[in-house]
Amino acid sequence: MKTIWTVARKELVDLFRDRRTMLISLLMGPILVPVLILGIGAMIESRMRTQLDSTLELPVIGAEHAPNLVAFLKGRNIEPQPGPEDPDALVRDQRADVVLRIDADFGEQWRSSRPARVELIHDSSRQDSRIPVSRLQTVLAEYSGTVGVLRGISRGVSPEAGFAVHVARRDVATPESRRGMALAFLPYFLVFFSFLGSAHLAMDSTAGERERQSLEPLLATPAARAAIMSGKILGAWLFGTLSLVLMLVAFKLSLAFAPGAMQMINVSTPVMAKLLLVLLPMVLIGTTLLTLISATVKSMKEAQGYMSVLMLLPMVPTLVLMVNPVRNELWQFAVPFLAQNQIIMKLVRGEVVSAAEWVVYMVAGLGAGLLLWAIASRLYLSEKLAVSA
Amino acid sequence: MILLENLHKSFKTKGGPVHAVKGVGFQARDGEITGLLGPNGAGKTTTLRMLYTLMSPDQGRIEVDGIDVAADPTAVRQRLGVLPDARGVYKRLTARENVAYFGRLHGLDDATIAARIERMAATLNMRDFLDRRTEGFSQGQRTKTAIARALVHEPRNVILDEPTNGLDVMTTRGLRSFLRELRAEGRCVIFSSHIMQEVAALCDRIVVIAHGEVRAIGTPDELREQTGLADLEDVFVRLADLEEAQA
Repeated sequence: MKTIWTVARKELVDLFRDRRTMLISLLMGPILVPVLILGIGAMIESRMRTQLDSTLELPVIGAEHAPNLVAFLKGRNIEPQPGPEDPDALVRDQRADVVLRIDADFGEQWRSSRPARVELIHDSSRQDSRIPVSRLQTVLAEYSGTVGVLRGISRGVSPEAGFAVHVARRDVATPESRRGMALAFLPYFLVFFSFLGSAHLAMDSTAGERERQSLEPLLATPAARAAIMSGKILGAWLFGTLSLVLMLVAFKLSLAFAPGAMQMINVSTPVMAKLLLVLLPMVLIGTTLLTLISATVKSMKEAQGYMSVLMLLPMVPTLVLMVNPVRNELWQFAVPFLAQNQIIMKLVRGEVVSAAEWVVYMVAGLGAGLLLWAIASRLYLSEKLAVSA
Repeated sequence: MILLENLHKSFKTKGGPVHAVKGVGFQARDGEITGLLGPNGAGKTTTLRMLYTLMSPDQGRIEVDGIDVAADPTAVRQRLGVLPDARGVYKRLTARENVAYFGRLHGLDDATIAARIERMAATLNMRDFLDRRTEGFSQGQRTKTAIARALVHEPRNVILDEPTNGLDVMTTRGLRSFLRELRAEGRCVIFSSHIMQEVAALCDRIVVIAHGEVRAIGTPDELREQTGLADLEDVFVRLADLEEAQA
């Protein structure tokens, strides 16, 4: 035990004296996060506001066939513009979000009370045209409905006869869960930083030390190798935890100043404490995994080669869930990365994490950490590790 | 007291297995300095690494103060002070902190560590740079720090792998008198080198190693007698078969 602490303390002293490295790995995240949250948050807010509230300029082809409809659009804050020659090209080149074409037969069909034809030209794969298109659709549906009702009344038919089914919606999203949607990236961020926050120290204290030829004398001391390795892991874990705490504080502060929907995210101290608890096993998995890798590689360079792959790991569940959303099930709380993703989402959405889920999560997380630790301490016994160069 | 018996060690390399040590065996007595002399690549460092338990021999036996290395490596490491071939010191720690770190790993308390550092700083002439960070140290200052670090627990047996490498004349002289002090204290000192004069100036007994084998063991005079040559360098060249290798 004493050895573990001696080694951990030395590693931390060594790191903290390397001011620049220390500041970079400790502060980059906490500085970047507020910038991202405040910046992106503000961007989303202002876009939504302008797209929803501003006058929508709509190129209309054949406006002269339907003066009534055009007048109705004007009354709904949509400003018809002269129609283009080639609407498809205009939309494809992203010079217009949506184009409305009114058929030449519109007047004829209208007078004979048949469905009159209009055409929306838009690109459904474009995210930013979603709001204008749905605005226009809503207005057109409203127009259609209003005219339909008036026609019914004039023929002595009850307006209600026109609606076979009345659809009412009830949204069960709690305010908290709607806020959570705004933060789909939050789990990735937190898992990433807890997983790799101390990567530098973990790799340097094994692979780097070996490269600097100080590992051989260290391993020639009577201190048990498992203890030396555990000390290095403990040092990296403490550092990772410190950087994680700073990260969470940065989240708390920046979300307090974030605009609109994000401001309502639950960043109360108990939730933050739970997040920290959730992420501690992740820090352990990260530091032991990197120590394990560092014990097998020949050089620091080789160890860094693994970094790009490791950086992708926390992203996997976010990507999979985006393509294939799955229901919460207990087994998910045992899968590293996916488990963190699920439990963090639950916490920030204000849902209750059941006792069973906590137990499965903690046992699986700490178990994975211990397993990696056991493998790493075996590798630490190898002859190759001790002998540098 | 250190005893090595019939040590063998081979490594797998890309070009096939290399038999680095082939049946090395010798005894190093307390109160004596034993020199391990051999050209580069003779197997000195590998032999010493097996002695200080970093590698296990494929065959053979090592005893330190009567303790079998294979049976209780930890007890053996406690009795050894090792200056390995790899001399890395932590450059962001001061010389004092470097030594103290190893003292703690040997289980010493702070007061003992402080007293030992004082003593070694005096004998190794380290006072000027003791509290400076080792970044930017000269080769000599680094070696002294590494030696102090290796001996902080005052081991009965001292193993130094090419300690004079890269040192200037005065530092080398200082180191020699330090090793004589260790001998006078009754410790068992093993020290390896590829320079005959170095070994002759200091050692009570010389073990000549070449191509992974022991070629001769004896005092400098005995070796002169054995070969019939007066010049020690010639003795070494003859014993290690260096002429043959050159040709």
